[in-house]
Amino acid sequence: MLRVDRRLLQNVDWLLLGTGFFIIALSILSMWNLAPGRGGSALAWRQLSWVGIGLVALVVVASVDYRSLVRVAPAFYVLGLALLVAVFVLGRTVSGARRWIHLGPVTFQPSELFKLIFVLTLAWALSTRPGESLTRGSVIGSLALVGVPFLLVVRQPDLGTALVLVPVMAAVLVGIGVRLRVLGAFALAGVAALPLAWFALKPYQRDRLLVYLDPFRDPLGTAYNVIQAKIAIGSGQLLGKGVSGATQSRLAFLPERHTDFIFAVFAEMWGFIGCLVLIVAYGLLVLRGFDIAASTRESRGRVLALGVTAVFAAQTLINLGMVTGLLPVVGIPLPLMSYGGSSMVASLMGLGLLLSIRMRQFR
Amino acid sequence: MDLVHGPGGQRDAWSRRVLALAVVATIGFAGLLGQLWYLQALEGVRLQEMSEKNRIRIRPVAAPRGILFDRNGLPLVDNRPAFTLSFIPREMEDRDSVLARLSVLLKVPLAELRESLDRVPPDSFRPVRVRRGLSLEEVTEVEERKLELPGVVVEVEPERVYPTSTFAAHLLGYVREVNEDQVKQGRYRRGDMIGQSGLERLLDEFLRGRDGGERIEVDALGRPVRMVRRVEPDPGAQVITSVDRRIQEVAERAMEGRAGAVVVMDPRNGDVLAMTSSPAFALDRLTGNLDREDWRRLVSDPMTPLMNRALQSQYAPGSVFKIIVAAAGLQEGSLTPMDGTYCNGQFHLGAWTFKDWKEGGHGHVDLRSALVHSCNIFFYQAGLKVGPEAIVRYARAFGLGGPTGTDLGAEKPGLIPAVDWKRHRDGPPAWQAGDTINISIGQGRTLVTPMQVARMMSAVANGGILWKPRLVQRIERADGTLAYSASSKMTGHVELSPVVWAFLKGALVGVVNEGGTGAAARIPGILVAGKTGTAQSVAKSDSNKGQDHAWFASFAPADDPQVVVVVLVERGGKGGQVAAPIAHKIYQAIFLEKVAMVDLGGDS
Repeated sequence: MLRVDRRLLQNVDWLLLGTGFFIIALSILSMWNLAPGRGGSALAWRQLSWVGIGLVALVVVASVDYRSLVRVAPAFYVLGLALLVAVFVLGRTVSGARRWIHLGPVTFQPSELFKLIFVLTLAWALSTRPGESLTRGSVIGSLALVGVPFLLVVRQPDLGTALVLVPVMAAVLVGIGVRLRVLGAFALAGVAALPLAWFALKPYQRDRLLVYLDPFRDPLGTAYNVIQAKIAIGSGQLLGKGVSGATQSRLAFLPERHTDFIFAVFAEMWGFIGCLVLIVAYGLLVLRGFDIAASTRESRGRVLALGVTAVFAAQTLINLGMVTGLLPVVGIPLPLMSYGGSSMVASLMGLGLLLSIRMRQFR
Repeated sequence: MDLVHGPGGQRDAWSRRVLALAVVATIGFAGLLGQLWYLQALEGVRLQEMSEKNRIRIRPVAAPRGILFDRNGLPLVDNRPAFTLSFIPREMEDRDSVLARLSVLLKVPLAELRESLDRVPPDSFRPVRVRRGLSLEEVTEVEERKLELPGVVVEVEPERVYPTSTFAAHLLGYVREVNEDQVKQGRYRRGDMIGQSGLERLLDEFLRGRDGGERIEVDALGRPVRMVRRVEPDPGAQVITSVDRRIQEVAERAMEGRAGAVVVMDPRNGDVLAMTSSPAFALDRLTGNLDREDWRRLVSDPMTPLMNRALQSQYAPGSVFKIIVAAAGLQEGSLTPMDGTYCNGQFHLGAWTFKDWKEGGHGHVDLRSALVHSCNIFFYQAGLKVGPEAIVRYARAFGLGGPTGTDLGAEKPGLIPAVDWKRHRDGPPAWQAGDTINISIGQGRTLVTPMQVARMMSAVANGGILWKPRLVQRIERADGTLAYSASSKMTGHVELSPVVWAFLKGALVGVVNEGGTGAAARIPGILVAGKTGTAQSVAKSDSNKGQDHAWFASFAPADDPQVVVVVLVERGGKGGQVAAPIAHKIYQAIFLEKVAMVDLGGDS
């Protein structure tokens, strides 16, 4: 299975890969300069080691025929569910949410990996054989399949991951041609179910949700992040302050600055010009993903490519929206930029899937 | 209606839809660029200025904890402002020298100061509480040297204050900063003060309120320049308990120097008027800067002051249990008031001899006088007549051997052994006649808690109703709205014929008022009814004779019962000599010194 076909190698999408590496390079650069002295470089080295692990994962994922991955998606699905349940049993709580599992010295966040499993499961459930059309049953069945892990993720509580899954699901449903009218009905049903979910939550979880909706409920937490992030971004102005001038980031006024809010650090250092470059890079990555999805003939590859691209797009847009103050703050890392092993490895595996689909289009 | 468009595999349709999604994503990215243009180009200069003088610090404002009141509106605890020393790790430039200075200034071990900083990231600007309850002198010392102590701040926070340091300690419970495990559960922030035992823990959700916060602009030295925004804290809710502060105080005073528990209950509604456990612990010591050594001493104290003996200690009921035997026998018809025997102080069963507590015996006794004088010989025979099955059934009906459900948690269930005449290979040994004899006088494996006995005596006083002990009447939010209210809850009913109830009451009146074992509880003018008990302690050492636990379970006035008083003194000796006088003091205070007794019974 791992035998590498020369034809496959010729079809590697260097544009996609190159754009990904470019973003990673910017991430490492930002971390390196994040803290004065050794703190920043230590952070960068650790992230680089995660990039190394992620690259191995990328190569492995890309060498395997994605169709066989989709075939065993149910097994992944069960494994993913088991991991999410394990989080409840063995999980470690970090800033109030239980999302991590300890594996020896490293902690591991199953919900990051689950985003990919989610997409594989969708591809398994919603792809069709040539000449067949989708049945109503398989669409409704896929909703049920994704509903269970969705609830588990919400209970962690990892609202961020849950919020990413919703647009991804919507994008895939649009892609396979579900009528907009039906989608609208789903959306309405979802909104109608919200009050029910509300009652299932514990009071402190409700509090946390209310803070998501209205940051000023918690004057010490979220609102502060948003304000400081805005100041950091804005003070970068057009050309940025450079590395040493980035007081917001380096003087630690900005919380979560190497994880979810790393874009603010980047924006302070490199200004609007830098942001423009970065956002064009992300746009290129995402559009390339859509291109791969559009040009694939094989049904599983289509759904898979669209799903992975949608995960990238949704995470990127939601994270940047929250850091720039357009969206309420939820915990979502910026793919390929934020510090964090699980997120980096999962993102690179996603790139691997896209490469794999692209390579096998031309046979 | 078709859920999906026509047959799949139409390349154009698929590409069109993917293209549409790509357009949506592109619009998203364009929108982001727009926002960035707004922030960096249009607002850039202003935000740049803000970043230059960005010295905004955040300071939490602790919500005052809700107050606990007694049934008459007297406070059981209160709050007062207290000084807390905190570090802002980010601003402590030369950490070692600052800590060394402070250590000398406040006479606190250096390691303790350092430890509090170990748990937080060194670049955090959120204040880390280091020491609570600073004295005014200490505050002055620190404030005077402020410039030499960068990153050290003194904050004012509300703190619990108690009438006396051990007052109702087990009932109220202590308040203490969250520990690491509780922080990990994710419900609290580091530094939060939460109830760790008793009502403070049970009602923490209500009492805690919601902290507010201040955003403060500070200058380069960390001195506040201007308050940017303040969000007021929501104070915690007020709790109106069922406790009567005066009775609680009297009960505690009466138990001074003794180990044991007192429960005072209103038999008309199950209200707990007082609940003491001694020795008690000092609430204020546990709230403040208790060092590890003190804590270890408290936990390993052989007198277990942290344990609430009213709920968490199990004792053999001793002769108090004779009430159950009498009730079972009379109701089932196996005993009559006319039954009599001659007590010579000994009872033979097979090869065994069981003795009465009184050498030489009580002479001629009938059921009533056997209760009044607590004759064991009579009850050995009575127990064999009634049979262990009936005794156990009635004991359970009276709520013995089962938790009373006070909500305080960690309640011990006690034990009424199951009667099983067959021998099982791995189970307990088979029931024997000797076991029946033991249970007849409340010894052997039988175990009860003082709260269970109070519930049982309430049932005797009120004609069979078992109440769930009520500790909290209602909880009112700071704005006056009702957050919780509890009505009295019946958890069981003992069915005895009125004649039997009357007989039992009459006999219990005799125990106190007709020269019985409870004579020490007698109060002229008030008809006290009660039963003494002397329970063999399960405990180790056989060194001295003072090993028995003394019980006195009682209610008054017998013709219209308003209070139940149950006293247990650990290793006190005889119930009539030790426990009954304590109950006497409590009754005296309740009925004869009616000072602040606004409304003793009536359910509000």
